[in-house]
Amino acid sequence: MENKPLYSIAATFSDVNKTIDAVQKINEAGYKNYDVHAPYPVHGLPQAMKLKSSKLGWVTLVFGFSGAVFAFLFMYWVNVFDYPLIVGGKPFYQLPAYIPVMFEVTVLSAAVFTVVWMLFILFKFPNNSHPLIDTDYMKRVSVDRYGISIQANDEIFDFYKVKEFFKSLGAEEVFEIYYKVDELQDRPKIFDKKFISFLVLTSVIVSAITYFVLNQLLFMSPFNWMHKQFRLNPQTSTTVFKDGFGMRTPVEGTVARGYLPYPFKGKPAEAEMKLVNPLVPTEQVLKLGKSKYLTYCSPCHGNYGFGDSRLRGQFPNPPTLHSDKIRNMKDGGIFHIITEGQNVMPSYASQLTVDERWAIVHYIRVLQRSVNPKESDLR
Amino acid sequence: MSQDNFRKHWKSLRDYYNPEELKKLKEDEFLEGTIDTVDLAGMPPISRRRFLALLSASSAFAFAACSNFKDKGEIVPYNKKPEEIIIGNANYYASSLNCCQNTCSVLVKTREGRPIKIDGNPDHPVNQGKVCIRGQASILNLYDPDRLKSPQQRVSNRQFAPISWREANKSITDALKKSVDQNKEIAFISYKVNSPTTLLVLNEFKQKYPTTKFYFYSNFSNKAKIETWKEVYGTSEVPSIKLNQAKVILSLESDFLSTDGDVIDQVRQFAETRNVNDLKNFSRLYVVEGNLTLTGSNADYRIKLRPDYQKDFLLSLLNEILKRTNPKVNLPAELVSQIKNYDLNSVVSKHKLSKEVVSTLVDDLIKNQGKSIVLCGDRNGKDEQILALILNEVLGNTSLYDFSSTYVNLVEENSIQDFENLIQKINQGLVGIVINFDCNPVYDFSYLKLSDAFSKVNLVVTLTEQKSETTAFSNFVLPIHNELESWNDFQVRSNILNLQQPVISPMYDTRQKESVLITWTTGEVYYDSIYQRKLKSRWQNEVFTKFPTLDNFDTFWYASLHDGFVTLPSKTTNKPAFALKSFNLSNENKSNEILLSIYPHPYLYDGKFGNNGWLHEVPHPISKIVWDNYAAISPKTAKDLNLKNGDLIQVSNGKYNVGLPVFVQAGLADNLICVETGYGREECGEIGKGVGFNVQFLINKNSSSVYNSYVNVKKTGEVYNLVTAQEHHSLDDTFVKDFHRKRKIIQEGTLLQYEKDPDFIQKERPELLSIVNEVKYKDVKWAMAIDMNKCIGCNACVVSCVAENNIPMVGKDQVEKGREMHWIRIDTYYSGTPDEVTVSNQPMLCQHCDNAPCENVCPVSATNHSPDGLNQMAYNRCVGTRYCSNNCPYKVRRFNFFDFRSHFNNEYQYQEPLNFLNNPEVTVRSRGVMEKCTFCVQRIMEARQKAIEQGNEFDGSGVMTACQQACPSNAIVFGNMLDKNSEVSKLRNHKLAYYVLEETNVKPNVTYIAKLRNINSESV
Amino acid sequence: MRTIDYTIEPPVVEGKPSLSSINEDIARPLETKPPKGWYIAISISLTMLLIGAVSLAITFIKGVGVWGVNQPVGWGFDIVNFVFWVGIGHAGTLISAILFLLRQRWRTSIARFAEAMTIFAVMCAGLFPAIHTGRPWLDGYLLPYPNQHGLWVNFTSPLLWDVFAVSTYFTVSLVFWYIGLIPDLATLRDRTTNKFKKVIYSIFSLGWRHSTKHWNHYEMAYLILAGFATPLVLSVHTIVSFDFAVSIMPGWHTTIFPPYFVAGAVFSGFAMVQNVLIVIRKVFKIEHIITLDTLEKMNKVMLATGMMVGYAYAMEFFIAWYSGNPIEQFVFLNRALGPYAWAYWTMVSCNVLFTQLFWFKKIRRSIPVMFVIGVLVNVGMWFERFVIVVTSLSRDYLPSSWGMYIPSIFDIGILIGSFGLFFTLIFLFIRTLPVVSIAEVKAVLPDAQPTHGGNH
Repeated sequence: MENKPLYSIAATFSDVNKTIDAVQKINEAGYKNYDVHAPYPVHGLPQAMKLKSSKLGWVTLVFGFSGAVFAFLFMYWVNVFDYPLIVGGKPFYQLPAYIPVMFEVTVLSAAVFTVVWMLFILFKFPNNSHPLIDTDYMKRVSVDRYGISIQANDEIFDFYKVKEFFKSLGAEEVFEIYYKVDELQDRPKIFDKKFISFLVLTSVIVSAITYFVLNQLLFMSPFNWMHKQFRLNPQTSTTVFKDGFGMRTPVEGTVARGYLPYPFKGKPAEAEMKLVNPLVPTEQVLKLGKSKYLTYCSPCHGNYGFGDSRLRGQFPNPPTLHSDKIRNMKDGGIFHIITEGQNVMPSYASQLTVDERWAIVHYIRVLQRSVNPKESDLR
Repeated sequence: MSQDNFRKHWKSLRDYYNPEELKKLKEDEFLEGTIDTVDLAGMPPISRRRFLALLSASSAFAFAACSNFKDKGEIVPYNKKPEEIIIGNANYYASSLNCCQNTCSVLVKTREGRPIKIDGNPDHPVNQGKVCIRGQASILNLYDPDRLKSPQQRVSNRQFAPISWREANKSITDALKKSVDQNKEIAFISYKVNSPTTLLVLNEFKQKYPTTKFYFYSNFSNKAKIETWKEVYGTSEVPSIKLNQAKVILSLESDFLSTDGDVIDQVRQFAETRNVNDLKNFSRLYVVEGNLTLTGSNADYRIKLRPDYQKDFLLSLLNEILKRTNPKVNLPAELVSQIKNYDLNSVVSKHKLSKEVVSTLVDDLIKNQGKSIVLCGDRNGKDEQILALILNEVLGNTSLYDFSSTYVNLVEENSIQDFENLIQKINQGLVGIVINFDCNPVYDFSYLKLSDAFSKVNLVVTLTEQKSETTAFSNFVLPIHNELESWNDFQVRSNILNLQQPVISPMYDTRQKESVLITWTTGEVYYDSIYQRKLKSRWQNEVFTKFPTLDNFDTFWYASLHDGFVTLPSKTTNKPAFALKSFNLSNENKSNEILLSIYPHPYLYDGKFGNNGWLHEVPHPISKIVWDNYAAISPKTAKDLNLKNGDLIQVSNGKYNVGLPVFVQAGLADNLICVETGYGREECGEIGKGVGFNVQFLINKNSSSVYNSYVNVKKTGEVYNLVTAQEHHSLDDTFVKDFHRKRKIIQEGTLLQYEKDPDFIQKERPELLSIVNEVKYKDVKWAMAIDMNKCIGCNACVVSCVAENNIPMVGKDQVEKGREMHWIRIDTYYSGTPDEVTVSNQPMLCQHCDNAPCENVCPVSATNHSPDGLNQMAYNRCVGTRYCSNNCPYKVRRFNFFDFRSHFNNEYQYQEPLNFLNNPEVTVRSRGVMEKCTFCVQRIMEARQKAIEQGNEFDGSGVMTACQQACPSNAIVFGNMLDKNSEVSKLRNHKLAYYVLEETNVKPNVTYIAKLRNINSESV
Repeated sequence: MRTIDYTIEPPVVEGKPSLSSINEDIARPLETKPPKGWYIAISISLTMLLIGAVSLAITFIKGVGVWGVNQPVGWGFDIVNFVFWVGIGHAGTLISAILFLLRQRWRTSIARFAEAMTIFAVMCAGLFPAIHTGRPWLDGYLLPYPNQHGLWVNFTSPLLWDVFAVSTYFTVSLVFWYIGLIPDLATLRDRTTNKFKKVIYSIFSLGWRHSTKHWNHYEMAYLILAGFATPLVLSVHTIVSFDFAVSIMPGWHTTIFPPYFVAGAVFSGFAMVQNVLIVIRKVFKIEHIITLDTLEKMNKVMLATGMMVGYAYAMEFFIAWYSGNPIEQFVFLNRALGPYAWAYWTMVSCNVLFTQLFWFKKIRRSIPVMFVIGVLVNVGMWFERFVIVVTSLSRDYLPSSWGMYIPSIFDIGILIGSFGLFFTLIFLFIRTLPVVSIAEVKAVLPDAQPTHGGNH
């Protein structure tokens, strides 16, 4: 005989009743590793083969139940913990609304996992290299014959005896079924040059497509993500005006609500005379003053107003705020300087609102008082 | 063979002959030669390392591909930040708008120096924070892409070429000089000027060019009123009227809630008399009119009467009243004698008026002497005007005249006769130049065919913002500033002087019309503030001097700019004596043939705003028709002439034929055709061009009331597609009749009913129970209340909402499909019979239901409830299943079926600078997104932010929605319902409060205050 | 006087075909060159598909505005077709699963085909929810996956339940169908001589070898799947009906909807199966496998379900009247008398009146007549969905926002396209896979099962 390992010896029968008898006989003969093949499920065969009825139901139960539980817990977590939303004035946790989804998930997981389990765990499919595949035996069986195949690895297997046995059972034909050696001897193909280049090629193509889709296609019409809207946001440009500035400067001489022009331009004396601080030095005001002072004033005048700051020496030195001149200056005067600027000090009108300026004035007073306090304070 | 050979079993012959090989075969995991024989030659050329390297390389590719390199755009900051601007915060400027003759003082909201919203000036005594629908919409004109951007010169017929200002000015000034030398007239046509400074400039112009003749006019002018007042009282200072003190108002063809007179003022005052918490002073409104106007739809008693029968009615009414009272007024003898021939009962029976209504009217007028007022529409002829004045005099209603604030007329309007003379002169070649000063006479005087005349003049100059019928016949078209770019002052009332300041620097190469005149007059070189200086100097010399107590002009000037107006020291004028010497009725032939009466369109008015799409798209308050005007006729007349909706008819007044589509409007007088002006613009921008029909041709210059003329009607057989935004069901269709009442959508009562049984609304409200415990809100929960007694259905709220919330126009075709985008709409319901209709208006917007049905059904949670009770939309989460809209019982959700900005009128709305118009605080929604009223959440957030900044507890006070801010009658109230003292929570607990479709248990948060009709009956 | 013994079931398959002839008959269309008729048929269906594709492309580019949908009628043909196709699908599962559980052996000859139709119909149905959105490229938002919004889907929305129901339904039907196919694919694998076909069959038959050990589990699995498919099929249309029943729209908010929809689904589904089978058995000359008795049984089912549907129509009116809710009452009056009355009466006549003819055995057994009635039933059922969706929305609570719905050519184009897709798939199916389950038919042949031994 040719050099091929034997898988089994199989025989076909034409009549279903005969087959069942045969099976029972084979059982009695004590064969274990045998199988019966029929073109359709034949009632009674499994019993004849003494097969236990399938336990698949348990798989279904487990996966179905876990599906339901998972669905419920997920929805509960979403609605109650992760992202609670008031929807239609209903409570966050609303079981009735969950039921449809729970049911669907149950069915889905149960059905799919049952089949997956059967095909891939029980049957170990896909398995097209099984010796029985592509045999004349299989061709018969898949049409109209019933076949019995006794495997070579059975304890009491005996080449001739088995053949004889089949004959005695009234088999139509007897087949010898061998392993397909050539298939068994295939080398794994993974390091093949072709495969590698295919791999690289696909990845390049995929990358190119991904890039095009994510960065080009999705920003073409009709796709619209409302990330670019037809309106003029602050600090954006426009083509309408020659200068391209989207933000316009108000017309000279107009007065916006709450922004009456400063009446004492270039009149410090008058300002000092006429202006009075409208704010009361409450804690809130002083807090505001402090924060603004530290932001805008301290870089030159120093955190405590001694005119000692990191900028010292780089400009004409800023004056201390504890000089008699400033201590005796009325609030209006300081306000005027902040508003108009003085010498190298620029105007802070556009950085600080009127209230903020007055608040700073208060804070400066506090600083001054902390440096040279009144008698009353010392007592 | 040995024994043991037999003892051991063999499975194959091979096994039997050489078992060693098989043993080996079995020991091995795999069969012969599978892997274990390592031959280097057979090894693959690519090593495992190399393979991994390539693998990682390719995965690196993939990751790189997934990253996103989109350019995020550039940042363009200020070079020098203006003091008043904090980026991202709005500024407000007080200014004035001149949309119609009654200048409005407005508060313009700007962002980074660009206006984005217009509202009334809250400090102004007349406006009190309100502007009309045109005022709201006028911001669109500023950013209209069709604005003229540079001077144009006509090179050939209808062909224009750009030209520099300098050249244009030069050739014009030369021509001006020339025509002065040749002593030819310089015809200067302008709308009635109501700005003292402009007038000053004009006069200086006339001094420089003495042959100048001014032609002032205005559409739907109150000329007749002024003249008759002069005739009766000797002065031309017509007083304003204290409507809010009137108990009985009789309106004769006077649409004083929509188009007639100083509307904003009148609406507010009328609404004040409709206060359900002050039933004593609850007014009663009688309207005698032919058309069904907005005012008529708000009337308690409405008397249908053709405009040309008004006089009979008035005379007989006066006769009746004189009979029953003995006034201390001495009327002209001939009048007294003539009146005798007019018997009220006969008039009533002749015109089939309702006897009891008329008699109650007479009783009320007599009962409420001194507390009633008779308003006579501007469209009426002189006789009616005089009679109305007499009636008021007789009834002693003159006490309601407010002489402290009279209407000022800076110039006198010219008559139609004057314009006909002008045409004469032109034909005789006596006119050198025609200057159209920001007006459109060719359209306004279509019936005079000015266009022909103009083409005979050798130089026509038009100063205008936009292309118009007039520019088509002009040699020079000079683009001028929009009002939001201009300086000016206006005086309409004797006691108030309005100021106008620019809220954006000029956008294009335009100039203010007055400055142009100044350059022509003085010949000085143009600079931006040239007119501002004139204005300022006039104020210094003429206005400031009226305030002797003030010392510093600058402070005064800036303060007035800040406020937007000054109140002039009042010179208390008391009522002039009744001085009507003689009165003889102009006896015009009345005929029974069909009368055509021309009314101003409630929104487009005279067509000056013809290119304003917002106004086109707002549904007509009565017919709900959009993007068209039409010939309205009563159902009976329709039957007589066998016409139905959409039939095109030929209307001819002997001189002109005009084709018009028919709309059958219940509640009209019979044998009357009502048409509205403002449509049929041939020359204007993209939007208005060719929309509707020009009815100016039908003005009847020979009649005492030029708006009425007898016409004959021919059915053309063609059909025209009129589009209504709301399906109307004929009132005799029993299948769907009066659903708004049956379903308690509209709940109304009468004053008597309310006084008798204050709980008549509450009794009707359903018992509601809930199977889940309701969501608890704390601190703030937003709610709105709408007082149906005050709402007159003027639609100002709609346009305000459009402007605030970036709502696109969709166009006629889409409205026809039922896809209008307005977040708030005015539903109009009719009840009664086709010829005696009762109209009920109802503003309908998102009700922000507690149990919002839309939220349950959205699969992606794009719409849900905020902790402060807003039903909110997450636009960028919405995929557009439209399920929410289906499940909304109020159908207030709006879906972007297209990207309407690009779908409507070939991307008109995507032209710059319309993007300036969009509120930066509101998303510009894309196609496929559901949207709806948000209760102006951006405003709420602004207020909340401010509160946080100042470290205060946010109690929900001080937030105003756009619709509320615009509502001229203050019908809309918005606020925090959890705050027991807030206006809104008071209204929620009002006896007349009800919710629409309350029985659906969606728990809406918009309360409606049931309308009380002030009629002598205990049920509607 | 002769009596009939009803305990004996008539043979499922006519004549006495041998096991091998079954193979021959069923495999023939897969191996012979298609007849001319097939080419004509598929070219027609492909044209329809193309029309649909074009309409769909335009919709995608311009927006759903090209359809007739509007305020207040936010849903038009899109959802009508969705419900219609889901309904069609139901017959398949019913035949393959429920009748299997009920041991209705006459189902075997049509089960495979019905299942295939289920899958194709559900494909057509699934299309519509996906394309009816305003921004179809964001349909992914309907799936509960972790995203940068940190936002999840709204589990209270019936539309979301649909997503789960329809996808589950599709998956399970597909699995069920495929499981049934495996043995047949193996048979074909062993039969075919064509190399390419062999590879394909081998891959999909996964190396099935008719082993009794496998049959043992296989039958159990089949039983379990059938057991799950049965409640599933009922749940799916129930949930679809929730789309309406859970809303607050008058005419939608009705408790009768779930059973009513399921009955309707079976009704229309059977009509569709019956129609197509009539054609198939003629074209492929397998009248002896898909027998007239089978068709007659289906007609009986249609008669029954048709009357259930009729009952539902009547009951809706009764409840509307009985509820005393004027708005509800008006909606139903409006259906019968309003602007869409024509649609309503088409529905009633097609679904309730014509099916009554099936009371007569002659008509039940006359191929042409039952075909016509089947077509009418499908028309009627389509209009039922139209009536429910459109008329209810067009006149709801506020008269101010009433409006009419007029379909655009794109609506119609897509409807045609969906039929195109359905039939194209059918035609491809009958050329590539066994339209009748070989194994199952063999199993029910006379003498196929042992007469002694096996205890059953």
